[in-house]
Amino acid sequence: MLQRIYINNFRCLENFELTLKDIPSALLIGKNGVGKSAISYVLQVFQSVGRGINRVNQLIEPKDFSRGRSDVPIRFEIEVFLKYKLYKYILAFDLTEESTKIRVFEEQLLVAGNPIYSRKKAQINLEYISQNHEAQFSVDWYLVALPIMQEISQNDPLHIFRTWLDHMIILAPIPSLMTGESNQETLEPKRNASNIGEWLSGLLGRYPAAYREIDKYLREIMPDFEDFRNEIIGKNSKNLLVQFKVNDAYLNIDFEDLSDGEKCFFLCGVVLAATKFYELPLFCFWDEPDNYLSISEVGHFIVSLRRSFKNSGQILVTSHNSEAIQKFSDENTFFLDRKNHLEPTLIRPLSQISVSGDLINSLICGYIEL
Amino acid sequence: MNRYIDHIFVLPEDDANRQIANGFINDSNIIRRVIQVLSPAGGWTHVMDIFTKNHVKEMRKFDKQILVLLIDFDGRQDRLNNIRVQIPSELIDRVFILGVQSNPEQLKTSTHKSFEAIGEALAQDCSENNNQLWQHPLLIHNQPELERMTQSVKPFLFRQTS
Repeated sequence: MLQRIYINNFRCLENFELTLKDIPSALLIGKNGVGKSAISYVLQVFQSVGRGINRVNQLIEPKDFSRGRSDVPIRFEIEVFLKYKLYKYILAFDLTEESTKIRVFEEQLLVAGNPIYSRKKAQINLEYISQNHEAQFSVDWYLVALPIMQEISQNDPLHIFRTWLDHMIILAPIPSLMTGESNQETLEPKRNASNIGEWLSGLLGRYPAAYREIDKYLREIMPDFEDFRNEIIGKNSKNLLVQFKVNDAYLNIDFEDLSDGEKCFFLCGVVLAATKFYELPLFCFWDEPDNYLSISEVGHFIVSLRRSFKNSGQILVTSHNSEAIQKFSDENTFFLDRKNHLEPTLIRPLSQISVSGDLINSLICGYIEL
Repeated sequence: MNRYIDHIFVLPEDDANRQIANGFINDSNIIRRVIQVLSPAGGWTHVMDIFTKNHVKEMRKFDKQILVLLIDFDGRQDRLNNIRVQIPSELIDRVFILGVQSNPEQLKTSTHKSFEAIGEALAQDCSENNNQLWQHPLLIHNQPELERMTQSVKPFLFRQTS
């Protein structure tokens, strides 16, 4: 479970800390431009590192430095509780006049307070090799080291942490890009969910019983839903077909032709199945999950997600939708605010903010300020 | 929500009651999609206004609909009856009135739980038939209404546990 994320000098996030200890589902609210999505881009940096992307220029751009302040490093820290141990990973980037390109300034992975490795600029100290001897080597300043560190077994903390990062789900779906076609299998959904067909294939290939979960969820929402199948349409190519049934009449629809909201139901079903079957607790960030849904469905959709992550994993969502916001409570709703574009974002849980009267009206009227 | 099968709408008086209801519906033993929490009414008198204006007609039309009015009793023993007399007789079997004897803030202070955690504990009590938190001095007055409600909603609201 993600316990803490710290961000400094990244876009509007300066000395910014989000603490999610013992909170399986949380909501970020606040006006446009306060940095809710910026948090997801930081999480995406960690996810990319977990997925093996280690070239700094594929992770961070010069414009990401807060107000162009490149003389201060961008610093990310993430603390995650996995398999009874606290993992802390620190990653900092700098951009100096001499280097002209962004490079790794600092990197460190600690498990239960003990460093696995630490790095200052190019110099890496491997601290778990031996209690008495440290191993040192150098890496390219423009590469993040975590993806290239050698792991010994599946119980190796490096493997556990990288797998957790890799399996993070960060979603801001664009239904028009979700076609249902697939050319491969993956457990790595894209941010816009355009590879849902490949993710579904990967999930069902690895965990066939996941079909049951998705099927059960979709039947609850769409009583005429009958089944779905991945039809082979060419060499290594598949296309997702969804079948509906009313009395004895059947209707097959290409996934691509489902409505935007129906595609999101499908995506939700896959997320719910993933929470149940992935080996490590799943972390999911979903930017505005209420998008594309009818108002009567928003509440059920959010409650389904919250309940699914209650016993395993963690979900962080953003929303501007009153129905979605009302499905969270004061201790798991975080309000973000900033005075103007030149000042950094502040964050506080609603439980620490005095809101008089109705929350939604206070948000509409802009009464809440930090 | 399928209006032709048993379902429950919860109409909370205020934001605190809404959060208690949120905790209740997040319990994993509750069947998905048969219960929905509505926006807070903004006071118990508004609960009755909304009930009368928005729900009476619909409840007459859809006989599978149940409504839970979640109010603060504000220490008033006559509150339950004051509300009950406003409910049309043909709907009385499907409308239930529950709430904290004073207000949810006092229950929160007394139990050292968040509103959501209170709701979760109440759902768990119902699911496990132990009524621990329901026996709290600020909630015990709900017992007759709770028993009436349990008979009516338990068969479709909670997963059957062996």
